[in-house]
Amino acid sequence: MSRLPASAPSAAPPPAPARHSERDGWPLSGKASLCLAGALAVPLVDALMPNAMKVGSLVPPIMIFAIMGLGLNIVSGFTGLLNLGSAAFMAIGAYAFSISTCTVYPFQIGFWPGLALAILCGGVAGLVLALPTMRLRGDYLAIVTLGFGEIVQDVLKNLDAITKGTQGLNPVPAPALFGLTFTSGNFVPWYYLLLALLLLAVAFTRNLLHSRIGRAWIAVREDELAARSMGIRIARAKLLAVAIGACLCAAGGALWASFQGTSVDPGYYDFQLSVIVLCIVIVGGLGSISGVLLGALIMIGFNSIILVKLSDWLASHGIGGGSHVLSLPNNWKYLVYGLALIVMMRFKPEGLLPARDVQEQLHRPVDDGAGAGA
Amino acid sequence: MIIPALEIDRLTVRFGGLTALDQVSFRVNAGEIYAVIGPNGAGKTSLFNAITGIHPASSGRVLIAGSSLTRRFTPATAFAMLGVAILSGLAATIAINANDAWDQAINAQLGAASFPWAVAWSKLLSAFAPAPVTLVPLAIGTLLGALGAWSMWWGSRRTPELVAHAGVARTFQNIRLFRDMSVRDNLLVGLDRRLRTRLWEIAFRLPRCRTELAQACRMAEEILDVVGLRAQSEMNAGSLPYGHQRRLEIARALASRPSLLLLDEPAAGLNPSESAELMELIRAIRSRGITVLLIEHDMRVVMGISDRICVLHYGSRIAEGTPADIRAHPVVIAAYLGKDDHG
Repeated sequence: MSRLPASAPSAAPPPAPARHSERDGWPLSGKASLCLAGALAVPLVDALMPNAMKVGSLVPPIMIFAIMGLGLNIVSGFTGLLNLGSAAFMAIGAYAFSISTCTVYPFQIGFWPGLALAILCGGVAGLVLALPTMRLRGDYLAIVTLGFGEIVQDVLKNLDAITKGTQGLNPVPAPALFGLTFTSGNFVPWYYLLLALLLLAVAFTRNLLHSRIGRAWIAVREDELAARSMGIRIARAKLLAVAIGACLCAAGGALWASFQGTSVDPGYYDFQLSVIVLCIVIVGGLGSISGVLLGALIMIGFNSIILVKLSDWLASHGIGGGSHVLSLPNNWKYLVYGLALIVMMRFKPEGLLPARDVQEQLHRPVDDGAGAGA
Repeated sequence: MIIPALEIDRLTVRFGGLTALDQVSFRVNAGEIYAVIGPNGAGKTSLFNAITGIHPASSGRVLIAGSSLTRRFTPATAFAMLGVAILSGLAATIAINANDAWDQAINAQLGAASFPWAVAWSKLLSAFAPAPVTLVPLAIGTLLGALGAWSMWWGSRRTPELVAHAGVARTFQNIRLFRDMSVRDNLLVGLDRRLRTRLWEIAFRLPRCRTELAQACRMAEEILDVVGLRAQSEMNAGSLPYGHQRRLEIARALASRPSLLLLDEPAAGLNPSESAELMELIRAIRSRGITVLLIEHDMRVVMGISDRICVLHYGSRIAEGTPADIRAHPVVIAAYLGKDDHG
């Protein structure tokens, strides 16, 4: 037995792989169970609130964006491929869903088949984007995905016989499930449906992460050449990451269209939207699943709850609404985003809930190894 | 005749005008510890990169257990290429004509009380009838798809993945661990070629997924026992001390259960006692039936464990033989060992 390094923990290693506590059948840790209980209780608490404090109907976007954040996290967080075009996959999902379900066209295949079709289209689009760009890295891939995002918007605008151009397609149906009515007035069914889908996406992502596929992704991120030399088929790993990420973004797009009742216009799925999804992943912590959930809560919560409520409050007190740009809270949200990102990058570059590996990387002593074992 | 574990046959590797390896030939027998030595820039690492498929050989052959490990052009390859070509041709045609076809097939029929699917279908087909506007994109798309598929196949004839799957594992001169993964996960990546779970099994965490993971962890811990890193299996690889990182890299290579192990300067940066441990480890590896090909500058290690040694100098082989032969070889002494260094 060779010498232990000075920093080695003295505890004996656990006999079995016990990364996450699932010995007694309940797959969640204490904190996660608490968060889940909190999430389940939101509609109940909201019902008890006075009207001015009700936020429930503003919550679904958070969960939709969290699903997309999970998708981007697989591509950029696990596999290390910077993708600036997630809005394009969202648009593809939204339009595939809208075309196949909206009442304008004769297909009207319904919510669930439409969702499945949207996911499929997203995955195919991901493969089409990833196949020719497989050898690109870092900034080059980022530029390609950026261009892809712009191209998809233009294509959707110009295929106006199909997509109705900038008008968007509507009405797009809401889901049908157990005879529940999903209307814009009643958010509770929406809330629980999206929560269930989000949990499904979390479980799916986590299963992948703790498998040979997840290890292959991280190995590709850490050292592509070493991964190849260990027999990891990196082309397959990258294609799979981009395709699955695109599937989740497309699912988010389809849910978004269904929630809004319209495909929205192509211009909505612009670079800014991609950046917001990227911010969700970065604020929470690249490569961290719980980080994505927190990031979505913060970013979209700020955007669609705090800003909305603030505007309402200001309007009800007769402040703002004037001609000055700064009098509308919506006009300074990017200022806040920008400031928040700068502060984050300075003080907590690994994100708010970092994956354990990244945290150690960023807070490692400058000269590791030197003198540790000597 | 016994097939050698590795046969290098007149291997030449050029980078632009620079010849890194020039007509190098040697054979490594199964179960042997074979060392490649030479001054810096002699082409040792280029040799490893050529063996593992990182750099293509300019000429000559690398045979691993008698096979060149090159993907052949089979009927299946041809069919796949044809499929990609036709699909991209169709995609181009559809992309160009989608708007008009949709207008004629769907939008024109929208007024009717019940949608006339048969009419829509025939209009759709007529929109894609042979005409310049359909044939030209079809041709261009098919051509581009064929070119893309061809270049992808051409680039993947001999890849590091392929070589690794044939049972060749390696370490690197400058340690290339997955630094932010745990020690155990590093080994699990090494083990990957022996794992079989599929995407759907993983997505739903089917029982086979768990049993395979438990099995893989057991195998990983066995190997960690061999290299003496069991107690560190939960630590991040990057936070291990240098000597342990060297061992972990060997362990990761062993995890893939190779038949041929390439070690690129495994003793670099190790102190004398760590080098001695390393020699023990390499002997233990050989006793498991693994052939070892070694690049090393530390003459104590090289002379102590090698069965045979090949000396490279400016890309050419200048000597080959047992440690005793090499130590006495006048050309090697002049080029590399020096007069006073008897290791």
